[in-house]
Amino acid sequence: MSTADWKNYEPVIIPDIKDLDKIDVYVKNGGYKALESILKDKKKWADPKSVINEVKEANIRGRGGAGFNAGLKWSFMPPADGGPRYLACNGDESEPGTFKDRKIFEYNPHIFIEGALIAAYAMEITTIYVYIRGEYKAYIDMMEKAIADAYEKGYIGKNILGSGYSVNFYVTYGAGAYICGEETSMLESLEGKRGYPRVKPPFPAQKGLWGRPTTINNIETLAHVPSVINRGAEWFKSVGAENHPGAFLYGISGHVNRPGVYELPSGVPVLELINDVAGGMRNGKKLKAVIPGGSSTPVLRADQLDGITMDSESLRTVGSMVGTAGMVIMDEDTDMVDVLWRIAHFYHHESCGQCTPCREGTGWLEKILLKIKNGEGEVKDLDLLLDLTTQMEGRTICALADAAAWPVRYTINRFRDEFEARCKKVIKASNKAISHQS
Amino acid sequence: MPEVIIDGQQYEFEGQHKLLQFIQDLGKEVPFFCYHPSMSIPANCRQCMVKVGQYVKDRETGDYETDENGENVIRWFPKLQTACNIDVADGMVVHTQETDELVRRAQKDNLEFILINHPLDCPICDQAGECPLQIQTYKYGPEGSRFEVKKVHKPKRVQLGPRVVLDAERCINCTRCTRFTEEISKTHQLTITSRGDKNYPITAPGAEFDDPYSLNTVDLCPVGALTSADFRFKARVWEMNQTPSIDITNGKGSNIDLWTRDNIILRITPRFNADVNDHWIPDESREAYKLFNENRISRPQQKLEGEQILSSWNNAIATLTEQIEETDNSKILFIGSPHASVEENYSLGKFTNLLGLKQPVFTPHIEEGTGDGFLITDDQAPNTNGCRLLGFTELDGASLKKEVKKAELVVLLSDHLIDRALLSESDLADKFVIAFATNHSETTKAADLVIPITTAAEHAASYVNTDGRIQRTFRAKEIRYTNRRLDLEMSEGRLDRYGTNFDNWVTEDNKIDCLPLWSFISEAAKSSGLDLTLTEGREIMEEIAETLEPFKGVSYPVMDEQSGIQLSIKSKEKTKA
Repeated sequence: MSTADWKNYEPVIIPDIKDLDKIDVYVKNGGYKALESILKDKKKWADPKSVINEVKEANIRGRGGAGFNAGLKWSFMPPADGGPRYLACNGDESEPGTFKDRKIFEYNPHIFIEGALIAAYAMEITTIYVYIRGEYKAYIDMMEKAIADAYEKGYIGKNILGSGYSVNFYVTYGAGAYICGEETSMLESLEGKRGYPRVKPPFPAQKGLWGRPTTINNIETLAHVPSVINRGAEWFKSVGAENHPGAFLYGISGHVNRPGVYELPSGVPVLELINDVAGGMRNGKKLKAVIPGGSSTPVLRADQLDGITMDSESLRTVGSMVGTAGMVIMDEDTDMVDVLWRIAHFYHHESCGQCTPCREGTGWLEKILLKIKNGEGEVKDLDLLLDLTTQMEGRTICALADAAAWPVRYTINRFRDEFEARCKKVIKASNKAISHQS
Repeated sequence: MPEVIIDGQQYEFEGQHKLLQFIQDLGKEVPFFCYHPSMSIPANCRQCMVKVGQYVKDRETGDYETDENGENVIRWFPKLQTACNIDVADGMVVHTQETDELVRRAQKDNLEFILINHPLDCPICDQAGECPLQIQTYKYGPEGSRFEVKKVHKPKRVQLGPRVVLDAERCINCTRCTRFTEEISKTHQLTITSRGDKNYPITAPGAEFDDPYSLNTVDLCPVGALTSADFRFKARVWEMNQTPSIDITNGKGSNIDLWTRDNIILRITPRFNADVNDHWIPDESREAYKLFNENRISRPQQKLEGEQILSSWNNAIATLTEQIEETDNSKILFIGSPHASVEENYSLGKFTNLLGLKQPVFTPHIEEGTGDGFLITDDQAPNTNGCRLLGFTELDGASLKKEVKKAELVVLLSDHLIDRALLSESDLADKFVIAFATNHSETTKAADLVIPITTAAEHAASYVNTDGRIQRTFRAKEIRYTNRRLDLEMSEGRLDRYGTNFDNWVTEDNKIDCLPLWSFISEAAKSSGLDLTLTEGREIMEEIAETLEPFKGVSYPVMDEQSGIQLSIKSKEKTKA
């Protein structure tokens, strides 16, 4: 299916089936077939490696934002040595504008569970953790229920479906820190420690949770795995954009008529997503700007969006990224200074404080932006902001500093007039002298 | 041999090295705050940024690829790297701030960030003068600040525990202190609280930072966030002279520095010795600075009608000589001390030899169960093994009591036997007791003649620790009879070099009226007609090394060069200590 006929795409992860979160309904609709297949169909799946190869071939690019080939990531796990190995599923989902994994927890938890089980089998892992953000209390409960059901039905636990393969599945949850969505600080948090990102190398595949080999995958990434097993890598690659194949869970929010999560092929034109999928702009207003993939991805002006599709290749041409496909749509009434201050406030609040440039830089950015927002800024402050973004970017352990710097840089660059208009008019010295005399 | 190119200079190396440590070991510099060679590397201050690349190797031939000019092709890392956590590799090319503008800029940027929320209170900050942040800002920092908004405010003057005070605003979140309690003292008492620019180290709610090694965090702190409750506001760093010494509060012989101003020891800090105490000392070793200043015995004192009164040196010599002459040799008991140095004990031993008396005895000062297997030992004395190697008779408490009972004249060397509950006042009541001592105690109170002698801060002398390592002290303060201007071995402070005459150490009262034991004994021997001249520690140690097998090869220059010498001791002695 090419991107053009996205309208004919049939959702796989969040199809329109009532009560799909119940295990019986899920199984009735073909659930856990993929798991059964890899465990039992030895002709098709000779060994765990063959599962990894299929997933690698499918090129599921990580849906957490970085877009790394999931199968390739799996292949980085060292050979099993009898000791513990872990799969840590990242459901921290805390980037503003992103709310797709929540949809999976709520509507189809078992497809994620099945995907995680397949991943665990492929990497010969016997312990799975799913880390869910603490604010998702309701979905944590739902996941716990779903996992308990799957245990009961024999999909999780000892000797799954009589295959001899055993695995345990635990739900853990965060305590409200954005940084714990960063994979290595999520591991720290799982270990019960303060969520500080770890220095890499060593990478989690070598030394992860409790110093043991660990793979970390996003929830949506794993939810794509069962369909890859059921329908094959070729089918998956045929969906959506060539370099970023498969479906996306587009999380569309903002000034549109029908905000929500939509499962559609990758590479759908941005404007069609706004107008056809999300029902167009609210109150017939004009589109002003789009943040395409969560608050850290560079904002795009409406005039940049012609012919741009939601995949990494196309978005790169206009200087942005697909991120988590959590799109924030803003209309003509939006004050970009306020938007940017709010984003900067978020990163200031969430910087873990480990690395100097991020700890100090995020606060400084916010304080200057607040000054500008209150009409007390000067034009030179804008240049200082841009300078600070280069001082922060690429100088820290994890990417939070980059995530904080990019919105500032690109929003100012792309909406500079608006920012300058908010700045104080600097009275020139000669004018001052005159006013003194009078 | 593998090679690394740093700032255009080629260096060979063997084994594994972290780049920052490697650069430091070369005598070069890259600024840093969070890195510490004895702890894990968090790479969180981001100050040691350098540019790192790698010569490109031809996969087939294994040779380095060259460009059209014959220069090696370099593949640079896309981002600057922190030198602290990157391994030195063959064919690695490194540009530090010395050769690269980008690196200079990055380090300056980072310092600008560190300083935006750091209070500019250096004039009232204890750390000023020995502050890595201050020093590196002068060297690598920006000229001014572009920060025109409000700084973050955090708790100040927080008494974290009995000995450490926190100023959270000064903290740069390097996590050295929290890593220390996690990795070195293992009490896990400190952690970072809150997030982002609001975070700072703190204990658990209601918990005290009473770690027995807590004051090491004050030394580790690269800013003035953690200060010593005892030392803060007592002195500026540049007013004090720093003198290397050895901890005398227990058997470990931790290497320390004494900080002196006007002949008062104001604080004690650890001195690095990889073979003994690494970078650390226990808090109780620091509190020992008071021993050098307070409760000191100044001028000899003699008991007349039950009261100790000040006496004179001439009288002290005369009394000692007289008592020895009048008492039957078999009724004289000399007691050496594990609390005194090798040189002092040797001097005492030599004196007894020449007098034809038996060797001094001694009783180790060991309190079972007080040690922690790290730097606090069961042994309460710094020189137990020194006494053993000198061949002194080792007595337990009971046998000492028996020996004392037989004696009529007891000569004690700096060992507070009554305070240690080895003897009671009544044991000494009918004897003539002469005590050589540094500080007043119950024991000196019971003595008929008290002769003040120098402490480890006032003489150069050596101590053999529980592991059999002999290490020595330096003179850190003057006594009444010395002039530090004539003593080439005494350290020079910044005020000595750059100060005015008013900055001289002038308070006469701070000088104790005491003598090194060997000087006094030489005088006493002279008056007894004995041929004994002991001038100073250095020469006494030369004599010991010549005459006593266990000390063969020991001398001050060798000890200074190798920061101590390992002597061979019997394993029994080691475990007993």
